[in-house]
Parts: sequence; structure tokens; C-alpha cells
Amino acid sequence: MDILLQQIVNGLTIGSIYALVALGYTMVYGVLKLINFAHGDLVALSAYVGLVVYMQIAGTIPGAFAVIIMFLVTAMVIAVVGVILERLAYRPLRTAPRLSAVVSALGASMMIQNGIMLIWGPNIRIYPSDILPTTTWTIFGVTVTFVQVVMLVITIVLMAALTLFINYTKFGTAIRASAINQDAAKLMGINVNMVIVVIFILGSVLGAVGGLFIGMYYKSISFNLGWNYGLNAFIAAILGGIGNIPGSMVGGYLLGLFTALISGYVSSTWAEAFTFILLIVILIFRPTGILGERVAEKV
Amino acid sequence: MKKLLVMVAVMLTAAVFATGAFAETIKVGVQAPITGQYANEGQGIDNAARLLADQVNANGGLLGKQLEVFTCDDEGQAMKAAICGKELVNKGVIMIIGSYTSSAAAAAQKTYYRAEVLQTTDGTSDELVENCYWTFFRNSNPNSAAAAFTADYIVKEQDFKRIAIISDYSSYAQGLADAVTDEIKKRDGNIVYSGKIKAGSQNFTPVLTKVKSLNPDVIYFSGYYADGGLLRAQQVQLGIEADFIGGDANDNVDFAKLAGKAAKGAKIINVPTPEMLPYDSAKTFLADYREKYGKDIPSIWALLNADGMQAFLKAIEETKSTDTKKMAEWLRANEIQGYSGTLKWDKCGERVGSAFMVYEIQEDASYDVVFPKVN
Repeated sequence: MDILLQQIVNGLTIGSIYALVALGYTMVYGVLKLINFAHGDLVALSAYVGLVVYMQIAGTIPGAFAVIIMFLVTAMVIAVVGVILERLAYRPLRTAPRLSAVVSALGASMMIQNGIMLIWGPNIRIYPSDILPTTTWTIFGVTVTFVQVVMLVITIVLMAALTLFINYTKFGTAIRASAINQDAAKLMGINVNMVIVVIFILGSVLGAVGGLFIGMYYKSISFNLGWNYGLNAFIAAILGGIGNIPGSMVGGYLLGLFTALISGYVSSTWAEAFTFILLIVILIFRPTGILGERVAEKV
Repeated sequence: MKKLLVMVAVMLTAAVFATGAFAETIKVGVQAPITGQYANEGQGIDNAARLLADQVNANGGLLGKQLEVFTCDDEGQAMKAAICGKELVNKGVIMIIGSYTSSAAAAAQKTYYRAEVLQTTDGTSDELVENCYWTFFRNSNPNSAAAAFTADYIVKEQDFKRIAIISDYSSYAQGLADAVTDEIKKRDGNIVYSGKIKAGSQNFTPVLTKVKSLNPDVIYFSGYYADGGLLRAQQVQLGIEADFIGGDANDNVDFAKLAGKAAKGAKIINVPTPEMLPYDSAKTFLADYREKYGKDIPSIWALLNADGMQAFLKAIEETKSTDTKKMAEWLRANEIQGYSGTLKWDKCGERVGSAFMVYEIQEDASYDVVFPKVN
């Protein structure tokens, strides 16, 4: 029993990261119908920027402040990069065929990945292990660390805040309207360009938090980590229903639990294969994802 | 005018003396990557061989003859190595020190065999001993020796009852894990888990949680340090009290950084780094090297090549001859105390015994040799 509970804790931890990153895919897809393949690399970039920021300020101010500043500065930097990405790689192609934008996204992904490698080198970089207290609790044989609790709490708070923002603010309404029909939204006086910029800012910030979690929890970061997490988050987004915000959160956690349980009870060798089998099954039987509504494809 | 005559006379004398000495030398060939990707290692081999030769010459040489060293740069490439083989044989060397890479050593191996020139190399590839040339002496240990050593330590020395083995999907890590598994089974060890992780995937807790439920005494990991450090950190985080033993690819300073506090107590099995060698002869040689070249020897591999050369020189001294056949016979029949421990060879030139050691990582991330015990 405690083994099952431990696997659930493991799954929720990695699921938090998947969920945060998946939200970036889902929001961009919701409004632009574009799969932002560079999103995973923004996550990797965030892990590096966070490390640089932390190393600059560590020791000069109390630890808790250093962590908060690391999160704020990194989130801002990544948000700016996200906006630049949208401006340079996606906006000029907004009216072009969708395939062009996908190719542009892949190109942007390679550029960011190789940029990281040029600046910080191809070897792994290591986060200091004392950023957050290394306290560990054991409850009914299940081990939970302080970092895991922080990750879970921050993720849930951010997701709740995002849900409230989208559903209960005027700008949230504008985002939802743009997601349904951009032209109609424009006619209603919505600044769609502004909406898209905000979408990229929000997605980048959530991805940045995910990247910092990867650095703080797993400690080692490499220039190509975006690919692994990006792919898994992308699958999570499809699982929950791409374009659907609560769906991506659920998808992230479900995928985390699924891989943890498969690795634990079947075989870690097959975890990745099963992930893709799950993806195929979902696409066959429920192509819009678990929580996805039927997308309003008008005929 | 008189001055000029004196100078000419001095030069002539020197020339005669030089040619005379030339005829009376024992010629040693160094085949190593002096330039290219492995230049640092190759220069280390060359420097070590020249230092040994200088020391022997300073003590009056061997059999009344001075040693003369010829170096050929193989750039770590098989094609250049084949040329080096011919060149050094033409120079009339009786022994070859090197090369660093298995492929370069193998490319020239047959040339030396035909010319009856002894060869010692640190190459670990199995193909080197397959031909069973009598001229060949490997001074390092192959991976199979690492596996036997590891199994001995786990089953016999530590007497672990429940063993978990984890590898990744690389051919190196899988090969090592398979070899260790075989050796453990030969010694009737009880393997309770054997599985693989995906290198670079970072999240190993699902596998470790499974391992925890099997309650092992020891976890052996054959993969690389980047995963090993995280594996150890997550092992401790999950409260698995088993010992952690990593294969030689875990031997990197980043292992301890990744594992953080959990690094303490983790063990790694590898050939030792030069400065960790407990033998006095090694300490003296390393100090001499530092004094002569102003830097440390690049790695254990250069030192192992020096060990091979030492053995050859010892063979000349003992057999009182530079006949390579007699030297080889003597080398196969006797044991020599080298810098890296006992040197002994089987008939195909495989080093018998083992230079491997178990290190335990200390609180300050330094290594401490815990096995074999040296007094």
C-alpha cells in the first residue's frame, strides 16, 4: 500500500511540472491553433536563467528572498523571450498556412536549444542543493520532501489564479472570445494582438516556473531538457484536451501518475512506449481529450 | 684560427662520442597521440616514458647502455598508428610504450609482432588480446576485470544478501551490468532486482520506489555520473538505506554535486586516479613528474603505460639481455611490483589481477579508498 502511495506522490511531483508546461501549449493552441514547439525550450532556458540569477544573488540576501527574486526575475526574462518569439517567429506567419507556423516553431525550438548550448555549453549544469530546505517527512511509509510540497502548492495556486483570471476578468473574457473566433472578437473591439501577447506571457511564465522546478527538484539541467519535458507536456495537453485549460491541468497530473505507475508496476523500460499507446488510444476514442469539448468547427 | 681549430676538434670529438653512444643505446619507442583529441593523454605517456628513461640513464643505464626514446605521433588514429608502427620498427626499437586508444594500439600491433618488438598499452578493447601475440602486454584492466572485481566486493567482501542492479540503455552500461550480473551469479549472489533507467530522464523515483519494496542491501548502478548522482540523491530521499555502488563512469566530480548531501557514503569502483595510489613508488614517480614537467600527470592511463615500460626495463635487467623473446618469457613467468599494484600477465598479454579499487565519497566530496585495504 505504501508503495502505491509513494508512486502517487512521485507521479504528482512530475505531474505538476507537466501540468505547468502543458498550460503553455494549450493556451497558445486555444487562441492561435498553433502548436508552439519552442515552448519546451523556453522551459529549458528558464532553468538556466534561474541558475544564473540565483548564483548572482545567493549569499547576499536571506535565502527565502533569493528564491523569490529568482522566480520573479526568471519569469520576467522568459516572458520577454516568449513575446519576442511570438513577434519574430509566429506573427509574420499568422495568415500563412498552418504548416508554415509549425515549421517556424520547430526552427525557433532549435535556435533556442542551440543558443543555450552556445552560451552555457553542452555539459550538464548543476543547481546547488541548498536553495530550499532539504527537509523530508515520512508519513505512513511515504516520503515527501519540502521541495515536493512547495512544487505542488505553487502549481495549484498558479493554476487556480489562471482559472480565475480566464473565467472572471474582462481580459479573460477577451481571451475566451478570441479563442472562439478571432474575427468576431475584433469586431467586438477586442485587441487580438494584445490578447495573443498576454497568452504568450502567461504561458512563458508558467513554463518558467516549471523550468525552475526541474532545476530545484532534479538539480541537473542540460541544454536539451526542453525536448523531453516539452514532449511529455504536449502529450499531457492532448490527453486532457488541447485548448482546454482545466483539461491540461488534469492531463499533466494524469500523465505523471500514469508514467509513475507504469514504471513502478509494469516496467520502466516500457513507460515511454505506454505513454504513446495511451496517446493513441485517447486520439482514437476521444480525440478532443478527456475534458475537451467538441471544438466549434462550424460547417 | 687556433680557437677555430679547438672548436672543430671539440665538435669532432663530440660527434664521435655521440655516434659511439648511439650504437650502444637501448631504443625505446613511444607511440602516442601527441596531437589531436587525446593530445593531453598522449603527451603524458611520452613524458612519463622519457622521465623513466632519464632516471635509468642517470643511474648509469641498463647493461651499461643508455636508453634512447623515439616518439611517433599517431594522433589517436588507426591509419597514422600503422605508419608509426613501421617508422618505429625501422628505427630499431625493441619496445613500444603506448598507444592510448585501443584502435591505434591494435592498428600497429601486428607490425610489432612481426618485428618481434614488445608492446604495452592501456587499451581496454578485447580485440587486443584476441590474437594472443607473445609481444603484447596490456597494462590496464578490461571491463570484464571490473565486473569480476565488483562481484567479489559485493558478494564476498561485503556479503550483501539482496542485490539490486540498475543500468541505462547504453551499450557500455548494459555490457557492464550484464558482466557484473554474470559474475555475481557465479558467486551465488542473490539479485533481487535488475532493471534499466532512461539516461537523462531525471525522474528515477518510480524505479527506486519499486526497488525500495524489494528491500535490497545494495544498489549497483553501471551507468554514467549524470544519472548516478541523481539516482543516489533520490535513493536517499526515498529513505532506501541500501549501499550505493557506482561503476567507473560515475567517477566524476559532478556526481557528488548532483547527489548533494546524499553523496556521502556512496561508493564508486574504478581504477584509481594517480594521486590516490597508495604505493610509495607511485608517489615518488608522480612527484618527479611534477618536478620535471611543472604539472601533474594527466591521468592514470599515462601512469599505467609507465608501469608497462617499467616491467620491460625490469625484464632487461633480470634477463641481462635485450632479446625480446627472453624478455617476454621472463615477463610471463614473473610478477613485478608496479606503480598501480602487482603487474602480471597471462599468455595473451592480459593483465592478471586487478588495479581496481572501491572509493567511498566523504562529506567534503573527496574520495577515500575502502577496498582493497592497504597497510
